[in-house]
Amino acid sequence: MKRWWHRFFRTPRELEAMGVVGINMRNARFVLPNNSRKLYDLVDNKVRTKGLAIEQGIAVPDTYRVARSPADIRRLDRLVGDRDSFVIKPARGSGGKGVLVVAGREGERFIKPSGATISAEEIRHHLQNILAGLFSLGGKRDVALIEYRVQAARVMTELSFQGAPDVRVVIFRGYPIMAMMRAATRESDGRSNLHQGALGIGIDIATGMTIHAVHHGRAVTMHPDLKVPLIGIQLPEWDRILEISGTCQKMTGLGYLGVDIMIDDEHGPLMIEVNARPGLAIQLANGVGLLKRLNPALERFRTHPHEDLREKIAFSRNTFAARLPTA
Amino acid sequence: MASRIKLLAIVVLLTVVGGGLAAYKHVKLGIPMIVGDRPTEWLVEAKVAFFATGEKTTARLSLPSVAVDREMGVDASSEGYGFFIADELGQYSAHWSADEKQGNQALYYRVRFPARGVESAGPVFDTNGLPEPSDPGLSGTLRSAADSVVRRAKELSSNPESLLVGVFREITAIEGSQEIALLKRHYEEVNNGNALTMLGIDLLNMAGVPARQAYAVRLDEIRGGQEPLFFVEFHDGVYWRVRDPDAPSSTLDPREVFVWNRGGDPLLEVGGGENSKVVFTTTRDVIPMEKLTDLRDSGLLVATIFGLPASERQVFRFVVLIPIGAFVVVLLRNVIGIATLGTFMPVLLALSLLEMEPGVGLVMFVVIITAGLWVRFLLSRLNLLVVPRVAACVVIVTLLMILLSVVSWHLGMRDGLKITLFPMIILAWTIERMSLIWEEEGKRNAILQVLGSLIVAVVAYYAMRENQVRYWAFYFPELLLVLLAGIILLGRYTGYRLSELMRFRNFEEI
Repeated sequence: MKRWWHRFFRTPRELEAMGVVGINMRNARFVLPNNSRKLYDLVDNKVRTKGLAIEQGIAVPDTYRVARSPADIRRLDRLVGDRDSFVIKPARGSGGKGVLVVAGREGERFIKPSGATISAEEIRHHLQNILAGLFSLGGKRDVALIEYRVQAARVMTELSFQGAPDVRVVIFRGYPIMAMMRAATRESDGRSNLHQGALGIGIDIATGMTIHAVHHGRAVTMHPDLKVPLIGIQLPEWDRILEISGTCQKMTGLGYLGVDIMIDDEHGPLMIEVNARPGLAIQLANGVGLLKRLNPALERFRTHPHEDLREKIAFSRNTFAARLPTA
Repeated sequence: MASRIKLLAIVVLLTVVGGGLAAYKHVKLGIPMIVGDRPTEWLVEAKVAFFATGEKTTARLSLPSVAVDREMGVDASSEGYGFFIADELGQYSAHWSADEKQGNQALYYRVRFPARGVESAGPVFDTNGLPEPSDPGLSGTLRSAADSVVRRAKELSSNPESLLVGVFREITAIEGSQEIALLKRHYEEVNNGNALTMLGIDLLNMAGVPARQAYAVRLDEIRGGQEPLFFVEFHDGVYWRVRDPDAPSSTLDPREVFVWNRGGDPLLEVGGGENSKVVFTTTRDVIPMEKLTDLRDSGLLVATIFGLPASERQVFRFVVLIPIGAFVVVLLRNVIGIATLGTFMPVLLALSLLEMEPGVGLVMFVVIITAGLWVRFLLSRLNLLVVPRVAACVVIVTLLMILLSVVSWHLGMRDGLKITLFPMIILAWTIERMSLIWEEEGKRNAILQVLGSLIVAVVAYYAMRENQVRYWAFYFPELLLVLLAGIILLGRYTGYRLSELMRFRNFEEI
């Protein structure tokens, strides 16, 4: 029922009834007890995460080079070779900080996806910033990865205004809990940060179909710039996506995590990064409070402590299947 | 569950210990819990510091006669020293002595009196009969220079007081006569710090007005340690009177100045030590003297702030307030949900605001940040490395501080000079981080976070400025344990933040 105050706020009781998890609750009940601090370095350092993932047979974007010292940076040609497109990212950056995407070349200059061009000198400066720790947590010295630029699948790019959308799956003790896709808008300028106006699109855990979408926290059904429908789109290789997410839980040992995945046209789902403190906007994107899913998963974990990954995924797909609006 | 019980136990324990100690102080020692409007008291502390050379050590400090006569809560602390107060015809002095002391020594003598002030500078009748002016014993050119100054001053004066005003006017004039310049040069060679006062005293004596040196202290809490002020005591034919050489025509205000010693004796004499000096600290206490002595002697660990000499206690004036600021940060971040730039940056900002006009302070902060940010964007075109860039920011902030101070000075705003109270590195980092957020997350986030920091800083400032809060923090530091219990409880708050109630306002269940 709509009340007058819903224009401004929801009462704590209303949010509680919907099972919405706030930051304090996420940290105190899910992050702190389940994610031991010493495991953080595994996910905070992308070089390590990728190494682990490869051991586990998870596909990740191919690492071309790792720049570790100013000497590496001076030989930019050695770092990027004659590749036309690549991505430079800091090993310890989080949430897309410090990521530089190069989509092509034009003579001496490099072209960004937005069409702007930058010089080799500017790329070197960006690499120096990464090494100095400008984007890393706590300003620690860092290394830079130069890796394959994902060619996002058509289904995905059709939902995004520039920039490639990624899929975020939240896993709790091995159970996929909730998933969403983040798609850029003109307003978000190619970025997939919901705060900056990107779209959050909820995904049905059972089928991998989009079921709900929000823009600035409000429900929408069309992309504001591209005017394409956002609901009822089937994501490719959904089984594989769930499997990758579950495996990330096993390989990192974290109890509560978010896994970011991009779907490559050629290589299929590629794991991009693991987040030990996944955000709460996923609830808005799905229109479901996290607690409504975390509690049953915890209950299941108590009653069936020895389930393997396949069984856990099967449980989640059955239990958390969206009640699709009757068309 | 078990951890919850542990948590509760710790919270209860902290509250009981902290609250219990406070209750004990209140009930048994009678220290009021509520800061009242009872007349406050000044505490003036003289700290005698010197370096003992290993021989027999003696120190003699002249004391304020008013205080000793009326027993105004005088008290001395001097561990390992024999101590007595000598009385020479109404002139008191404290004597310390010890055998074979070595290294840095600190002796303390404290006087306490009501904030209305005491007439330490009032007229005093000389019991030894009419005093005679003493000849300073100048000779040659100095003598003739002094003579001509005295002659000029005498021509323009009718009584000792106007003579004193005339003499000091001439001494302190910016473009003085040649005679004065000559005399000044001589006196500055012989005396240190009090050359002008000594010159004036000698000139008065030559003019036939008995005069001698007095030592005074400004009643000002903010200053911290201060050197004694050199004042002039002169005889107007009936009484001895004290004047400030910088304002010779006005009588002294007992609420602003306390004359520590008069009578012309040297302030301090130390035997068996080097580099001796006296430093005065003045603080205002809300608690009457006798209660405070009870507190100091009660032996409770928590009374330790009062076990410290006033000069060291001053440091705690702000230190005890920092936890209050930290508590405000926790409250506003975890319960209200205000995003800030750096967790405890607002506390440091609030501390600087405490020492200036907060409105002016905030304006200056915003001006510096805005200007710094603009320059920072210009710098970013030069593609500098990170550390040199922050260092460049520090230089720019410094220049901006100088510029702002000079401009505000010329506009007649003295508060501009307080800009240096902002911690420089905090400013530089704020600019650097803000420009980073600006680029990465957009200007909206950057401005919101700075605004959030300012709001938290202002709230923390008002919490820290509140008299009652300051009183508790300073006189009942054990209440910090209760604050700690509160922070621990807040640390386990898992409810929604106020900002989340708004963030999820469009939440629709499907």
